[in-house]
Amino acid sequence: MSEPESWEPELEELSRREALAEEMGGTEKVSRQHGRGKLDVRQRIEKLIDAGSFHEIGKTAGTATYDEHGELITFSPANFVFGRATIDSRPVVIAGDDFTVRGGAADASIVEKQIAAEAMAGELGLPIVRLLDGTGGGGSVKTLDPEHDAGPNGGYGRGLRTYVPANPAWDHVVANLSRVPVVSLCLGPVAGLGAARAVTSHFSVMIEGLSQLFVAGPVVVNRLGGEQVTKESLGGSRVHTRNGAIDVEVKSEDEAFAAARRFLSYLPSRVGELPPRIEPADDPERTAPELRVAIPRDRRKVYKMRPIIESVVDEGSFFEMGRFHGRSLITGLARLDGWPVALMAGDSYHYGGGWTTATAQKATRFVDLAETFRLPVVHLVDNPGFVIGSDNEAAAAIRHGSHALAAIYQSTIPWCSVLVRKVFGVAGAGHSNAHRWQHRYAWPSGDWGSLPVEGGVEAAYTRELEASDDPDALLEEITDRLNQVRNPFRTADAFLVEEIVDPARTRPLLCEFANLVAPLRDRDTASSPYRP
Amino acid sequence: MSNPVESPVVGTVWKIEKAVGDTVEIGDVVMILESMKMEIPVEADDDGTIESLSVSEGDSVSEGDTLATIA
Repeated sequence: MSEPESWEPELEELSRREALAEEMGGTEKVSRQHGRGKLDVRQRIEKLIDAGSFHEIGKTAGTATYDEHGELITFSPANFVFGRATIDSRPVVIAGDDFTVRGGAADASIVEKQIAAEAMAGELGLPIVRLLDGTGGGGSVKTLDPEHDAGPNGGYGRGLRTYVPANPAWDHVVANLSRVPVVSLCLGPVAGLGAARAVTSHFSVMIEGLSQLFVAGPVVVNRLGGEQVTKESLGGSRVHTRNGAIDVEVKSEDEAFAAARRFLSYLPSRVGELPPRIEPADDPERTAPELRVAIPRDRRKVYKMRPIIESVVDEGSFFEMGRFHGRSLITGLARLDGWPVALMAGDSYHYGGGWTTATAQKATRFVDLAETFRLPVVHLVDNPGFVIGSDNEAAAAIRHGSHALAAIYQSTIPWCSVLVRKVFGVAGAGHSNAHRWQHRYAWPSGDWGSLPVEGGVEAAYTRELEASDDPDALLEEITDRLNQVRNPFRTADAFLVEEIVDPARTRPLLCEFANLVAPLRDRDTASSPYRP
Repeated sequence: MSNPVESPVVGTVWKIEKAVGDTVEIGDVVMILESMKMEIPVEADDDGTIESLSVSEGDSVSEGDTLATIA
């Protein structure tokens, strides 16, 4: 009997091609990437995931040239690396741009790889983490140049021509927002299509000084835009974490990977699965006596909300998102007796907690996140209403505020409110859906109404004040009279607030809520698709 | 290099707590604004020295205005 013929030569060829793919854009381009203080895409993937868990797909796809005998002469991999891996032992999809191959531009991409990565995440129900660096397969006018080697995608093999733009993989990119957790890490300059992929996500991160985000970069803006900018002034992390385009700013790539892992730890792998509980490390009955003195008695004085959050949630479990945008509302993920929740809280340091257009946009997106992934909401309320004045009228605060109210009223996820201090006006009224069961507690510092007595008196008693010989004295007299009924116990007399509680007992009450509603999280599916 | 201390709100300058040349640490109150009938402290985001103050008590300010610089 003859020996069976072996496929060893092909396996050797496969290994050779895989080794070529691992060289990425070549020694020079890779060391230039490292010289910019950036990791290369393969290092990034290894640092993000559980060690050794990467299963790459389409590794040998790229631009190949062959001699007349069909032997491979040169090979340049596509500038997009993707596959499956695990993070904290849970499967995920990783999709990374390779800036070392033509800066990540379309002329060196194979668009089908991006489509496949997004489709795999959606169909297998796996979170996707995008590592963005460059234009993310966006356009380049070089694809129109007959003197430029456009590669296999110089018009997707259909010759030189312009094209009506269609954003590749966009059906999946949009649909995934309502199917699986989507995380975008900006790890370099991210422009055009890449920028749109960055923000079409549930959670996004930029690195100070290392990443920038823009529709078009400084070269284009400075030539055409009538202004002179740098990449930092145009689209640095400071710009985009203040305007709400990006959620979190960190100082290093390692911190960005840690943020992605932490965000995912609170979420289910897909819509339809419930957020995972971890073994609680904190006592659900723990009381916090310091909360009895947390709110100043002087209504003009502000106080710090973040320490209050820290003392009611499981120790060390608060993960804030969007800290620098819409700052009168603090939003983040946390745990109560091990259960993940979506926590929002007023910050009196910013407009006394009053809502601006930015706050409303932040609230809408956050409530939609909670709704999509079935995270019960805990709201520590301090909201004197929409911020008044010309700036907010000009910014259409009422439209964006009403958009947020609609998101809150459309949500079906269990909801618990703690009235910490002010609840005024239309925005204050939107602290929960008033027509659902109000799982609600008030602290003795609660102060509420249609509008605060300060300012409200002048509006309601205009004629009396105008007719008075001593309007200041009259104003004081009326204010004193009204303030006498400004007492939360009178509200509770009429059962217009359900319970006034000892602030120290807030954590046990919230842990009870988290345990009570845990079995109800899947009662309804998300009410509307998530939008970025 | 100097870093701006920016107004977090639209409001008026109620009380300036630091003078040019004062040393500040992160979290120190540089001035207090009044907005939405409340006293809103503006804290230093950086350690350093107050290099300049660009507002006076009673001034109206917009969100993002530079109130002072820290060097």
